[in-house]
Order: sequence, then C-alpha cells, then structure tokens
Amino acid sequence: MALALENVSKHFGSLVAIRNLSLSFDVGSIYSIIGPNGAGKSTVVNMIAGSYSVTSGTIRLGATALNRLPKHRIAQLGVSRTYQNLRLFDGMTVLENLEVCFFPQSWLTFLTGAKRLSKAERLDICHACLAEFHLSDVADVLAGDLPYGRQKILELARAFVTQAPIVLLDEPAAGLNHTETKDMAAMIAGLKREDRAIILVEHDMDMVMSISDRIDVLNYGELLCSGTPDLVRTNERVQEAYLGTTEELDDIRKLAQSRRAQGGLRANAGIVRH
Amino acid sequence: MGNSVIVRRLGLLAVLALCVVLLALVPYLPSYYVRVADSILVYIILAVGLNLVVGYAGLLDLGFIAFYAVGAYAYALLASGQFDIHLPFIVVLFIGAAAGAIAGVLLGFPVLKLRGDYLAIVTLSFGEIIRIAINNADDLTNGPQGIAGLDRASLFGLPLTSPVHFYWLLLVLTVIVCAGVYYMERSILGKAWRALREDQDVVRGLGINTTTLKLLAFALSAAIGGAGGVIFGAFQRFVSPESFTFQESLLVVLIIIIGGVGNIVGVIAGAVVLVILPEILHFAAQYRLLIYGVVLVTVIVLRPGGLVSPRFNLGFIIRKVRTLWLSPSKT
Repeated sequence: MALALENVSKHFGSLVAIRNLSLSFDVGSIYSIIGPNGAGKSTVVNMIAGSYSVTSGTIRLGATALNRLPKHRIAQLGVSRTYQNLRLFDGMTVLENLEVCFFPQSWLTFLTGAKRLSKAERLDICHACLAEFHLSDVADVLAGDLPYGRQKILELARAFVTQAPIVLLDEPAAGLNHTETKDMAAMIAGLKREDRAIILVEHDMDMVMSISDRIDVLNYGELLCSGTPDLVRTNERVQEAYLGTTEELDDIRKLAQSRRAQGGLRANAGIVRH
Repeated sequence: MGNSVIVRRLGLLAVLALCVVLLALVPYLPSYYVRVADSILVYIILAVGLNLVVGYAGLLDLGFIAFYAVGAYAYALLASGQFDIHLPFIVVLFIGAAAGAIAGVLLGFPVLKLRGDYLAIVTLSFGEIIRIAINNADDLTNGPQGIAGLDRASLFGLPLTSPVHFYWLLLVLTVIVCAGVYYMERSILGKAWRALREDQDVVRGLGINTTTLKLLAFALSAAIGGAGGVIFGAFQRFVSPESFTFQESLLVVLIIIIGGVGNIVGVIAGAVVLVILPEILHFAAQYRLLIYGVVLVTVIVLRPGGLVSPRFNLGFIIRKVRTLWLSPSKT
C-alpha cells in the first residue's frame, strides 16, 4: 500500500502553507520530512490525518482518496499518528490508552464494518504491545502519572498498536534529552516493517539522518530536495535554507566572536533549565 | 487463615448486613420518611443517568429534566382518562424509556458540534423548550393545569399505590440502573467515553466516530431519565409543567458535581445530601435557599472534586470485597 500526495496545496487565508506538493510514501521504509520552522511540515501531517482540509490536490491511500473523508474514517483505513505536544488520555491507565484504540473493532462493528475482536484478543494485543515498548510494568498506572519520556513512548505505542500501515510521527523526540532521543531513534528504527510506512517530522538531525531511508526537505511550503540522508546533507540549497548563505553565516560568526570577547554572552544565556 | 482475616470478614459482613437492614427498615418508617427515601432514589436514578453524559462523556447537559418530563407525560397520556388509553405500567415504562432515548437523539444531533459552554446553553434551552411546549399544548397536555387522575399502576399483578410499594420498585430499579451503568463504565464503550471527555480530536484520530459515541451517551442517559419520569408519573398520579423547571435540571447536575463527577458512589452520596438537606432545613423555611447555597459553595470550595473521592468508586468497593473474600492474604 502506498500513500501519495498529488499536487497538494493548503492555504490559510492568504498564506500559502503548502504549494503544489507531490510526494509518495511506500510501505517498508522510514521517511522524514524536515525543514525550517514554518516550512509546512506539521501541515502535511495534519492534512494526511484529516485534521486539516486540503485546498487543492488529492491525497490517496492505495486507490482511496482520503481528503474528502472524515478524520475517523481515515484512521480506520490505516493512518495513525502521534502529536507534537503529548496528547494522551491522562486520566486513563496505560493499558486503557491502548485498549480504546480497538473501540472500532468492538461490539459496535455493525456500524463500522470492521473485523470484530473479542475482549481477550484485544487485551492480548495490548499486552503484547506494552511488552514490545517496555511498558508492561506500568500497565495499570495512569498515563498522566508517567514520566515525560515514557509518556512519549506510550504515545508511540498507541500509534503502532493497531498495526496501521501508515504511521505519522510528529516530533517524537521533542522535549527528550540526549539519551532518550537516542533510545527513541533506535526504537523507531526497530519498528520498520515491510507492511508499514513510518513518516517522521523531526527537528533532531542526528535522529533523522540515522534512521531515515528518504528525507524530504520542505521550505516555504515547497519541496526543496528529496533523497537519501547523504544526498540531503550535502545539498547546498538545504544548507542555505537551514543556515542562511555563506556570507550571512560569516556575519553571525563574527557577531558571536565579538560578543564573546566582551564577555557579555554566556553559552547558556536565555536557556532556562528545569 | 489468621484471626485478623476472620475479624475483617466479619466486619465486612456486618457492614453489608447493616446496609441491607437499613434499606429493609425504611418501609417501616412514617410515610413522610418513605417519601423522602423515594425522592432520593428517583434522584439517584436521574443523576446516574445524567452522569453518563456529564461524567463519562464530558458533555454538560443542563436540560436533562426534559427527558424526565417526556417519561412522565408518556405515562400521563398512555395511562389515564386523557385519551382513555390505559396501557399497563410496565409497557409504558419501556415506551417512556424509548421516547426519552428518541428525544435524546433528537437533542443530540443539532448540538453535537458544540462544546463546553455552548453545549450547556443549548441543552438548557432544550429543557425549557420542552417545558414551554408542554405548557402550551393545551389539547394534548391540558397546559398549565396538567393531567390528573393517572391510572393506579400495578406490576405483575402487584399494586403500586403506596410510597412503600414505590420504594421497593425504585430500589430494584436503582440497583439495575447502577449495575448497568457500572458495567458500561467498565466496558470499552465506557473507556471510549472517558477518552472523549479528555480529548475529542485524538479520539477521532483513533478511528472512533465521536458522533456515534455522543449520540449513544445522550440516548442511554435520556432513556434512564424517561424511565424515571414514568415512575414519577405513576407515583404522583398527576403531572404538570411545574415539576420540570430548570431548577430540577440544575439539581440533578448539582448532585453529580457535589457527589463526585463520573462516580456512581459519589452520585448516590450527592443525591442523599441534596434531597435530605432541604428537608432538614424546613424549620428555617425563609433561610432555606440561603443555607442551601452556603452549603453548596462550601463543598465546592473545600472539596472541588466532590464529596466522594474518585478513588472510592464502585469498582474499588467490589475489588475490596472480592479480595477479602477470595484471597485475603493480599489485603
């Protein structure tokens, strides 16, 4: 199964967030969408998941056009996602957070037309998933009581528990420390499978470069470059978009040096540590 | 098996026995107290029903009493001389519940897109619209005069005439409603409702049709309200729009908030407190509402989560009893 964006545009009023974007994602790989702030990365994820409507163009999953379907239908067809800011059901246990994903496969199947799962089957799947994500020990803990890093992992587990063929991960490493980010990267890399496409939106370049099969770089809503990590790393236009032109870069370096010479700029100035 | 286990089991038995004895003794109290007990049970049924929508699904419904009115008028129209239709009580009970559910879905459809305050305002208006419609549909409902002389109810040949009869009926119905709602709460449907209360967008992102989910909550809760209304009609044998004012809706919501949102044990406690309180305050009739208000504000300030802690719920009690009985070593 493949997910394809065909000439997709998204306007917010007069602002063009995405312009004529065409991308295709096949199962069996990990894709990363990167770009400077405001490039339209999250907009792409939100359009695929059905949170945003598409101004023009088509998003297809296999032969089905997704962009006219309600959000829950898109999810039922096999698109699952995580969120930029944690959005777990804090007042429910870790196990319940996964269990509720199987509501469309419960006794209400006469409405959804989905394959029915018994309670025992549902619980088996959830427990297996908890074990896979090393969450078994906290199965009965309220999700909101977990430490931040484990909440991130639980949200990851929730996106994978239904075996959706398309999984969208919106900044899985946001807010994680260095070690946790490395673990997260290893975990996502381990989730790569033949029948699944993982689409990652992420700022952490180490993570993106180490686990992606293909990287799509967006800038001002347009595709700047697309290819393997090595190709993207060496692409001049990408470096410009991220770091500015070489002259601008030199200016910034000089400025920083002069500040340091005055002793006015501490390395951590402006960073609040909690 | 140690001595302490036996002592604890006996203690548990004693508490359970005490509850049963207290409930069984109520019919022997003077009629006034039995009526108060009936009233408490009616409000428990209503509040447990409304709790499905407010507590589990997280949708503030301020017009709940409309469904109660639908049930009461179902009995008034289908078991009285009004149109000379005299259906048996048990039949009307189901019709009332069904009519409530239909009214719930009718209310549900237009308001589903609304959240929070807006939903509260529209449901409040719905409650008032139903009351005002009843008040003006003279041919159907006799308007403000109400419908009197409703049939004496009977159930399986047993007459339902005195408050004591209704006490037993209501007690059985309360147990059935609480057990049913408890079962629903623990099912995947209850979990989906709780998830809906926390984050509607994420629930949709999990492939769950939130429209269906909300309509189910509205319909089930309204069905319970409708059934409660039928019993109210059969008990009073008189219905008028007076009984279904906004204050009544508010009282049911307050029972939930004071008792503990989403907690059946809390709702029961809330109903007991809020029904008994005005009765106790009879002696200070002119200050009654004032004292009532002070008590409510005090509870909300001191225990914003409700009188009963969310941890102390029906599941907790059942687990406690079960572990003490089956594997006492764990307690």
